[in-house]
Amino acid sequence: MTLLTVRDLQSGYGKVQVLYNGHIDVEPGELVGIVGPNGAGKSTFLGTLAGSVRASSGSIDFDGASIKGKNPEDIVRLGLAMVPEGRAIFTDLTVNENLRLGLTGRREKSGAQQAVDEVMDLFPVLTTHKNHQAGLLSGGQQQQLAIARALVSEPKLLLLDEPSLGLSPTVIQDVFGVLARIQERGTAIIVVEQRAHLVMSIAVRTLVMREGHIRATLSQSDAQDEAKLAAAYFGTGEDRE
Amino acid sequence: MIQTILDALSYGGLYGLAALGIGLVFGVMRLVNFAHGELIAIGAYLFIVTIDLGLPLSILIAVTGTAILALLMEFSVFKRLRLAGPAVLLIASFGVSVFLQRFYEIIFGALPLSGQIAPWMTGVIEFGDTTITRGSIVTIVLALILLGGMWFFIEKTTLGLQIRAASSDFQTARLLGVRSNRVIGAAFVFSGVLAAAVAFVLVTQRGSVDPLFGVNITILALVGTVIGGLGSLQGAALGGFAVGATISLLNSFLGNYRVYTYTWLFILVIIVLLVRPGGLISNKAVKERV
Repeated sequence: MTLLTVRDLQSGYGKVQVLYNGHIDVEPGELVGIVGPNGAGKSTFLGTLAGSVRASSGSIDFDGASIKGKNPEDIVRLGLAMVPEGRAIFTDLTVNENLRLGLTGRREKSGAQQAVDEVMDLFPVLTTHKNHQAGLLSGGQQQQLAIARALVSEPKLLLLDEPSLGLSPTVIQDVFGVLARIQERGTAIIVVEQRAHLVMSIAVRTLVMREGHIRATLSQSDAQDEAKLAAAYFGTGEDRE
Repeated sequence: MIQTILDALSYGGLYGLAALGIGLVFGVMRLVNFAHGELIAIGAYLFIVTIDLGLPLSILIAVTGTAILALLMEFSVFKRLRLAGPAVLLIASFGVSVFLQRFYEIIFGALPLSGQIAPWMTGVIEFGDTTITRGSIVTIVLALILLGGMWFFIEKTTLGLQIRAASSDFQTARLLGVRSNRVIGAAFVFSGVLAAAVAFVLVTQRGSVDPLFGVNITILALVGTVIGGLGSLQGAALGGFAVGATISLLNSFLGNYRVYTYTWLFILVIIVLLVRPGGLISNKAVKERV
């Protein structure tokens, strides 16, 4: 059964519409990318799926039920967790406290300690710093904490908004290297990125967004085709889906 | 000298409690709740009209009644304005404040309502040549217990952790599963409990209550939350304490010139804000790292 099915999704902020035709299908355990230039509507799309941006029309079916119009706190309990752009960790709280907050979104309260142990295994650096203030971590460590905090709720689908933002190339490789291990746990992932090559090399398919529309869907092999990627990304030539 | 220090500590503790009550609601809602003064007023009214039932029962009724009124404010007005901006919330809180003042006037009358809540608090204790008022000792102890209790609740419980997270970044807290209505409701309830504690001390000192009873301390406590650092709960308590202690010390040192207490207070407030615009405890103290 398809985990996430989105059709004709429209959303925005007040009277300003940002997303015009959001649509996506995600199977369990899949990694799907969304790329596009600044202001394309990528973050709005993710925010609408997570419930932090109100959908004005369209449908969002997750795990067999509609989640359109639900609150973020209810959506995360259904198994859809989001790591917002810019990490959004609580810098004045400790690493441990950030992870405890992540446990709030668990469907089942039992197994919480095991979930924390698993993410500590995934991100060993967090064990070392568990009692440190999160704001004192490096940018890469903060990104790892943000992902770990979302993972302790044991989501079926993880939304990552610009995980490479503000990170050095080496750290980006480390962060993206962990995504495969998260997939191995059976968690599906949607990654929004401006660095198209980065996400296309690991995603089973990548949606290209521009001006609030999904302009193309590219396969993994298309990552090597610069002309095709440029056409979809910058709007030169015909849009394809 | 000892009495001066004790007065500063007791005033500081009292204003710290008032500022923390305001800071709790501001943290989770970005609402500067001017109607906090009317929570203090209802607490004082409830103490005076129920004191004949005995102090323990009177405390129970006043604390519960004030917390219920705080929740009523949230459910009847502020919950309906969740998507509104801070300016709308501010004006709404003005509206609630004025409405409640007129309501108290209708129910209790415009003239002060008098009563003795805890006469044992008004005496003095003598240590050799030094005399200190019982009221300041009780206020310090009460403030220490409540601030300590609030510290434990905020720092050590899951709901407290959620309130701290929601105060820092409400949207992200919701994305993690923090239930917004539960956290906001808890903040209003604790704000009401703290308002009742402030009411107890004030009504014991003054011996009467009128519809504008809580306005003055609320404005000064708001100044305290700004000095402490808006959005920081420790900052609110610290800022409130600083304002209260400064008022007390200025009153003492200015002597016959105490009419200028608030002039000097606000000069100091402006200096503090010029030096630290983000307040004494700023959430942005931790720099973003790459």
